[in-house]
Amino acid sequence: MILPMALQIISAFFATIFFSVMFNISRKELLYCGLSGGLGWSIYLISNQLGGSIVVSTFLGALAVSFLSRYLAILRKQPVTIFLISGTIPLVPGAGMYQTMYALITQDIEQAATYGSQTLQMAGVIAIAMIIISSLPKSAPEQRKAH
Amino acid sequence: MRHHKALFKFAIKAGEIMLRNGAETYRVEDTIERILRTQDLEIVESFVTPTGIFATMDEEDGETVTVVKRVRKRTIHLHKVALINHLSRQFVEGSLTLEEASQTLQEIESRKPYPPAIMIMSIGLAASFFTVVFGGSLRDFCSSLLIGIFLALLQQGFYNSRVSRFLVDLLGGSLIAVFALLFVNTGLGAQLDKIIIGSIMPLVPGVAITNAVRDTIEGDLVSGISRGVEAFFIAVSIAAGVGIVLKIWFAVNGGYIV
Repeated sequence: MILPMALQIISAFFATIFFSVMFNISRKELLYCGLSGGLGWSIYLISNQLGGSIVVSTFLGALAVSFLSRYLAILRKQPVTIFLISGTIPLVPGAGMYQTMYALITQDIEQAATYGSQTLQMAGVIAIAMIIISSLPKSAPEQRKAH
Repeated sequence: MRHHKALFKFAIKAGEIMLRNGAETYRVEDTIERILRTQDLEIVESFVTPTGIFATMDEEDGETVTVVKRVRKRTIHLHKVALINHLSRQFVEGSLTLEEASQTLQEIESRKPYPPAIMIMSIGLAASFFTVVFGGSLRDFCSSLLIGIFLALLQQGFYNSRVSRFLVDLLGGSLIAVFALLFVNTGLGAQLDKIIIGSIMPLVPGVAITNAVRDTIEGDLVSGISRGVEAFFIAVSIAAGVGIVLKIWFAVNGGYIV
């Protein structure tokens, strides 16, 4: 159980880094983007292993990414989006989208509805997580930074 | 008076480059207003949507100047956004003159993205690592690496064309499904679903989704909705592209291969 999880987390770290290159993020920030993506995915996996549903796990992962991104934005003096966009990528429901589509073309409407609503819920909880973290009061260094 | 015009030009240019390269619209509005507020002006307004900038300020002689800037071609170059964010902050703090800031802005604008070879390899590696994230094996990793590279070549081929982004995503989805079926049936890949899911990730509208949420949080509802719609249509285009190919495959072979 531990080994495949570690492999997945390391893969999420590298996948996020290569994604950040696609977004033309500065070379100096790539490592931090990878950490953001890796953390989000590890929280997701741990929560899922402990019995959390996919939607709840996505929510917790997105909370962690949003929180870490705010911290990294201060630490690295960068706009928060740099870490938020890249870190969220592993949690974006690409798999749910595929499964919904697959159920639709195999005419399994019940499955399609299940996966479709799950995909929408995942997108929804990612949004809620971002809203919650960005609504937390600004710390002193953030206020100075102003943006 | 002349000075104000130069300032106005600088603010619009900074906003335009940010918007073109994937910044949230509220950040663009905020940057334009902060730059203009360095002068003692009575009226300063900016209204930005994902496809255009509107800004207004008043001149000393009491006239009001308004600029509308339509932004058509958009790419994602977040480093430029970060640099302009930093530049505008320095300018507002007064540590740069307008001439120096305009000079730096030009340098930022002409910055090159990562070279195509690195970009293509990154898309391939992003696809293959995501295949492993979703439970793929080493064979699936190799399949997705190749598919990702083909996908990147397709995207580069269409980069300067006028073909709609949605059509390119549809074609991309189809290409992924065709090669995934090919690799699984020739024995290079093992799990069709893992390969496809990993390979569609580079097409997934991550920036549009994140910016839709962030714009909505900041009260830019028009931008939030339009980016949300953009993300939804991109997702539908990808799914349709993959779906069409799988549907044809099933129809021809009469069975399901997962």
